[in-house]
Amino acid sequence: MSLFTAISISASGMEAQRQRAEVITENLANADTTRTPDGGPYKRKDTVFTTAPGSSSFADAMSLASGQNQGVAVSDITIDDRDPERRYLPGHPDADPEGYVAFPRVNPAEEMVDLMGASRSYQANVAAISAVKDMIARSIDLFR
Amino acid sequence: MSLAQTGLEFGRYLSYLAERQQVIASNIANADTPGYKTRDVNMPLDFSGALEDAQDAVIEAPGLQTRNDGNNVSIDREARLLSETGMKFNLATQMIKAELKQLRSAIEEGRSS
Repeated sequence: MSLFTAISISASGMEAQRQRAEVITENLANADTTRTPDGGPYKRKDTVFTTAPGSSSFADAMSLASGQNQGVAVSDITIDDRDPERRYLPGHPDADPEGYVAFPRVNPAEEMVDLMGASRSYQANVAAISAVKDMIARSIDLFR
Repeated sequence: MSLAQTGLEFGRYLSYLAERQQVIASNIANADTPGYKTRDVNMPLDFSGALEDAQDAVIEAPGLQTRNDGNNVSIDREARLLSETGMKFNLATQMIKAELKQLRSAIEEGRSS
């Protein structure tokens, strides 16, 4: 069923954008975290998207093989390896002998812009679902 | 042209529109996927034939600007096509309903409205 496949494709888009928003909020929440289990300050994360089947049924897997039914998924969460930002805070417990503390290199403006992008893309997927839902309702209406 | 035949062709038109809406949903879902290219469905010249070659009808949409990440999805184009396809689908179902009403009227010898 083509129209129901369209819904699962948009749902995969919503899920991917939600995961992206989760990573962004994690970055914002940890903007000042100087301690992590791995040692050192928190490192900024980023999501990478890839095309993926919208759903897992057999017919959909077949149509994927022929290049159709392309949903989206988060393929990887990368870690930003830029050097930490060094702030002079001699009284801080994590300060090095010179008095500098390593802070994560998280730019709140950058994260907020990314968050807006994720939110808008989520809305676009919701709009696609409601348009397809309307088409399905019209088809059902033919039975009346 | 018989009612059954026009009904069949409308059915094929509806499945073309459904196919297209699916591809548009896929383009919107992949608006942020690096390297993704916008896809579209070729409109068949003649709806009297079967739409069996629907796989071949999916093409890469031409004339779109590719961004630095290799993605060329234009969200404005997809939004327009999303509502356009929805409206065409609405129109086609209304026409099928009118055809069926005509058929019912013939069955009931024109007695009911």
